[in-house]
Amino acid sequence: MDIFESTKMAVKTLTANKLRSTLTMLGIIIGNASVITMVGVGQGAQRYASEQFESLGPNVLFIIPGSNESRNRTFDLPKTLTLEDAKAIAAQVPTVSAVAPQLQTQQPVTYSNKRTSSLIVGTTPEFLPVRDFEVARGRFFTDLDVQRNTQVVALGSDVAKNFFGDADPIGQQIRIKNISFQVIGVMESKGAFLGNNQDDAVYIPLSTMSSRITGNTSPYGTEVTFISVNARDEASVNAAEFQLNNLLRLRHKITTEDDFTVRTQKDALEIVGNVTGALTLMLAAIAAISLFVGGIGIMNIMLVSVRERTHEIGLRKAIGASQQDILVQFIIEAVILSAIGGVIGTVIGTSGIMLVSAVTPLKAGVSTTAIAVAVGVSGGIGLFFGVFPARQAAKLDPIVALRSA
Amino acid sequence: MQPVIRLEHIFKTYGSDETEVQALQDVNLIVETGEYCAIMGPSGSGKSTAMNVIGCLDRPTSGCYYLDGVDVAGLSDAELAHIRNRKLGFVFQQFHLLPQLSAMENVMLPMVYAGIPQNERKERAAAALTRVGLANRLNNRPNQLSGGQQQRVAIARAIVNRPVLLLADEPTGALDSHTTQEVLQIFAELNSSGITVVMVTHEPDVARQTRRIVWFRDGQVLHDHLTPDDLTQMTIAA
Repeated sequence: MDIFESTKMAVKTLTANKLRSTLTMLGIIIGNASVITMVGVGQGAQRYASEQFESLGPNVLFIIPGSNESRNRTFDLPKTLTLEDAKAIAAQVPTVSAVAPQLQTQQPVTYSNKRTSSLIVGTTPEFLPVRDFEVARGRFFTDLDVQRNTQVVALGSDVAKNFFGDADPIGQQIRIKNISFQVIGVMESKGAFLGNNQDDAVYIPLSTMSSRITGNTSPYGTEVTFISVNARDEASVNAAEFQLNNLLRLRHKITTEDDFTVRTQKDALEIVGNVTGALTLMLAAIAAISLFVGGIGIMNIMLVSVRERTHEIGLRKAIGASQQDILVQFIIEAVILSAIGGVIGTVIGTSGIMLVSAVTPLKAGVSTTAIAVAVGVSGGIGLFFGVFPARQAAKLDPIVALRSA
Repeated sequence: MQPVIRLEHIFKTYGSDETEVQALQDVNLIVETGEYCAIMGPSGSGKSTAMNVIGCLDRPTSGCYYLDGVDVAGLSDAELAHIRNRKLGFVFQQFHLLPQLSAMENVMLPMVYAGIPQNERKERAAAALTRVGLANRLNNRPNQLSGGQQQRVAIARAIVNRPVLLLADEPTGALDSHTTQEVLQIFAELNSSGITVVMVTHEPDVARQTRRIVWFRDGQVLHDHLTPDDLTQMTIAA
C-alpha cells in the first residue's frame, strides 16, 4: 500500500472522529502558537533594543560613572564624572569630534496652572550634534548661555504641546523647581529611547542646572550624570575608547579599579543582545515544553485509539494488511494531526505576533523560517510520539484483536 | 489438481510446561477445490485453532500446511499477510466492517492492500456487492444496513480479491433464522460458481446445508464426511 492510500485512509479515520482529532491537536496548536509568539516577541524585543542603539549612530560613545563590577554591587553610583572631565576630553582627545556632558534629574515643571514631572537635562550646545537632536522652533542655548548661567530652556515637543497646545511658546516663562525660565526653543520630536520618552523632557544649560536646580554634591568638580562623546568617524571608535580610558584614568588617578566605564555602541548592542537573547531563549524553552506536552497528548490519545480500534486492526490484518501497513497508517495519522495542529498553531501564533506589534513598540517579526521550523518540528513530534502507539497497533495479534469483545 | 488445503500432522501447543495446552494433536485434513465444508465440534475441540491455522493467522507448532500447493510454514509475517490478502477471504460472526467507511469502501479495502488501481477497485467492489444482492446499497454505511446486509457486505469483501478459499467463522452466529438462510444461500451460490468454502459453525442446521462435515474433538479430526444422520447422533451425544 502506498503513502497516498495510507494518507487517504488516515484522513478518513481522523475526520470520522472530529472532536477527538481536534482535542488531540489542541496541545500541538497551543504549543506551536506559543513557540512562534514567544520567539517572535523575543526577537522583536531584541530588534527594538538594537534599533534604539543603532539610531544613536555608530560613532557615539558613552562614559558613565562606576565600573561594570561596582554597578553590579550597588545602585548608589559614585559621582565621579565631572564637567571638567568633559572639557579635558574635548581639549585633549584627538579622535573625539564633540563632547556633550549631561546632568539630568526628574523635576516638576509648571506653566500657569499646568504641571508635569519631566526629565530636566542640563547640557551644552554640543548635545545637538552628539545625540543627533534638532530644534524645531526658536533656538537651542549657546556657549554664552552656558557661561552666563542664563535661565533659558528648550522644550521637548510633548512638554511644549502639553503646556501651550498650538500656541507659540517662544518667549514665555515656565518654572522648573519653582525657578523661572524663558522658553527659547522647541525640540524636534525624537520618540522614546529604551522606554524613556525623550520628548517629555526640557533642556537647559548645564551650568544653570548645576547651580540652580541640582546643586553640586560631587567632591571632584561639577558633577555630570554621564558624558556622550562623538568619535571623529566610525574607524576612530576603538581608538577613542582607548584614549578616553587613558585620559580619565590619569585624571581620576586610577591605580586599581576604574571608577567610570566607556561604552561603545558595540558594547551596548552586545549587552542588549545578551539580555534579549537570554529572554528569547527562556520564552522559547517555556513554549517548547508546551509543544512537548502536546506531543505526549498525541501519544496518549493514540494509545487509547489503538485500544478502541483493536477490531479494526485485527480485521485489516486478516484481509491482508502487513505490520508495516498498520504501522505506517497510525504514524501518518499522528503526523497529520500534529502537522495540521502545527499549521493552525502557526496561524494563531502569527496573529498573536501581529497583535503584539500593533499594541506595543516591539516590532515582533514573523519569520518564514520560524514557521517552517515550527510546522516541521510539530510533524516530527507527531512522528516521534506516534511511533510507540503505532508499534503497539502493528504488533497486535489479529486472532486476539478479532475475538476481543 | 492441488487440494486447496492440505494439513499434515499438524500440532499446536499453547503455553509451556505445566500450563501447556495441546490445542491440535496430529490433525490431517485435505480439502479439494470446489468443496463446501463445515467444521464442527464442541467448544475446546480445536476447531477454532484449526481455522486460525488454515487462515494463516496462526502458525502450527509442528506439521506441514500446504495452501493451494504452497508450504506456508516458512513464510514471514509479511508474506503471510500477502497470502491472506490474495488467497483467502474471511467472514466473521461480528461482520467486522469499518463503521466510518461505506459498503463500497469496506469492500475496496482488501484491494487497497493489494495495490489495485482505484478505477478497477470501484468496478470490482460494485460487482461483488451486486453479486451478494446489494447493488442498491453501495454508499450506505454499516449502521444504515441490517445485520444480514452487513454480513453480505462482509462476504463481498471476502470474495472481491478472488480468493482460492473462503473462510467463515460462525457466519450466521449473529443472525436470525431468516437472514441465516439468505446468507447460506449466498454461500451455496458462491460455492456452485467454484469457490471453495470452509465454515466453522456450531449449528447443525447450518452444517447440514454444506456438502461435507468435519467433526473435531480433543484437538483431532474425530469424524470426516459425516452424514446428516450421524450429525444428529453426534450433536445429541455432545
